[in-house]
Amino acid sequence: MHGGELVKVTREDMHVLTGSYVLDALTSSEREDFERHLHHCPSCQAEVRGLRETAARLAMAKTVRPPARMESTVLAATYRTRQLPPLPGERAARNLQRVRSSRLFAGLRGTGRRESGLRLPAPGTSSRRPSSQPAIGQPGSSQRGHGRLTADRPSLARRWAQMPRLVGAVAVASVAVAVGLGITQISTQHQLDTVQASNAAITRVVQAPDARIEKKATAGGTVTVVFSSQRDAAVITTSKLTALPSGRVYQLWVMSSAGARSAGLVSQPDQASQVLAAGVRSGDKIGMTVEPAGGTSTPTTTPVLVVPLAT
Amino acid sequence: MHYMNRPEIRERRPDPGPEEGEGPDLALLLAYVARGDHQAFELVYGKLAGPVYGMVKQILRDPAQSEEVAQEVLLEVWRTASRFDPVKGSASAWALTIAHRRAVDRVRSENASSRREQKVATEDIIEGDSVAELVEASLDRQRVNRCLDSLTEFQRESIKLAYYGGYSYPEVSQLLSIPLGTVKTRIRDGLIRMRDCMGVNW
Repeated sequence: MHGGELVKVTREDMHVLTGSYVLDALTSSEREDFERHLHHCPSCQAEVRGLRETAARLAMAKTVRPPARMESTVLAATYRTRQLPPLPGERAARNLQRVRSSRLFAGLRGTGRRESGLRLPAPGTSSRRPSSQPAIGQPGSSQRGHGRLTADRPSLARRWAQMPRLVGAVAVASVAVAVGLGITQISTQHQLDTVQASNAAITRVVQAPDARIEKKATAGGTVTVVFSSQRDAAVITTSKLTALPSGRVYQLWVMSSAGARSAGLVSQPDQASQVLAAGVRSGDKIGMTVEPAGGTSTPTTTPVLVVPLAT
Repeated sequence: MHYMNRPEIRERRPDPGPEEGEGPDLALLLAYVARGDHQAFELVYGKLAGPVYGMVKQILRDPAQSEEVAQEVLLEVWRTASRFDPVKGSASAWALTIAHRRAVDRVRSENASSRREQKVATEDIIEGDSVAELVEASLDRQRVNRCLDSLTEFQRESIKLAYYGGYSYPEVSQLLSIPLGTVKTRIRDGLIRMRDCMGVNW
């Protein structure tokens, strides 16, 4: 595509380019023209800002877990890469100040975070490595400022998966599946298999094209229900529910015209847990009640939550 | 690590309201990254790698190339952290702007040598052990899809081809057989509608 084929835009037409600019859809000469214009056009700047945030949401919706090796490669490269200084007279130099005073930072105040050891590196030590990272000097270079990171550090797994808690949560889900299917005796091996199967089953529901998500605040925390009619199943996740007195549990139910059947217990109400309920149809409801320890076969109290399912 | 283990920090991860999806601390972390803090960068990586890689892969398709470009982008975040200005937008938008432009540059330079992969679009699989993550990503997807559905067909197709496809607007114009000027208008109107639909407040 040549610039000559394009209509030469007037100043008034420039404004319409905000969208194409944000989506990187302009030709390079137009991009330059627009950037020059942008410099003197506060209303364009404001619009570009909002549309950029919008485009970022489009990207977030495509989040994919990258290969694990990528992290070590990138982190290692940072030890070999000099950073740009702030632009002279730019706001960037005062970023921290601004971030601190912004509403976004308000929630971090008083958390003890700064005292917790956010160390601002002294000159010459800026590339100090976290102690968990092995330092491997590179030939022909000073030790400092170079490092290679191994991919199997525990922090890598934690980063993405918050593993310990989630493995637990998946195990909880698998038990719930077992309960839901009426299986009461399962060996450790079967349990392992079930964990894997249920992980996959949960993924299938959550990623089903027709998955609908309902998020409700209740019992001091949140309950999120992902329902797929195509999969005849729902994934119920709970988070940070109010702790119950001993001898009481939260129990989840699939409620249909035929009555209520148990979908499982919330075993760690104060943390995150997942339950997969199979055989769920559009028109059913997901309910949660407080029941005696061990759960009951039918609800005995008024539900603290009812989520109708429809696609 | 020291920030990671503090429960009160971890719990800052907010309910993804329209404008707080990334949480408060990415901008703050970048300020530390600008001063050469590698630990802060690890956390930034944790927050950005998935969206950056996912979006780049959406455009390039080829996993190896996508990985390469995503790595360049994340290193660029390290290198240019001092240039991020929290007043001008969110940290994730800043990083994803870099990422999109890199991916598009790659596409355009490859078009010249016509090496671009022409694979049929496969549905992206969100891998990972974290159900919470999956649900979070699904929520984002659902919100975006619902808003995309509210656009006119030309608006939606123009935006998807430009953003997810990495096509220039003259290319979009050819693909959709609509005039150049119309494409520019459709893209802008559609994005403004998306912005309002998703409650973006910048």
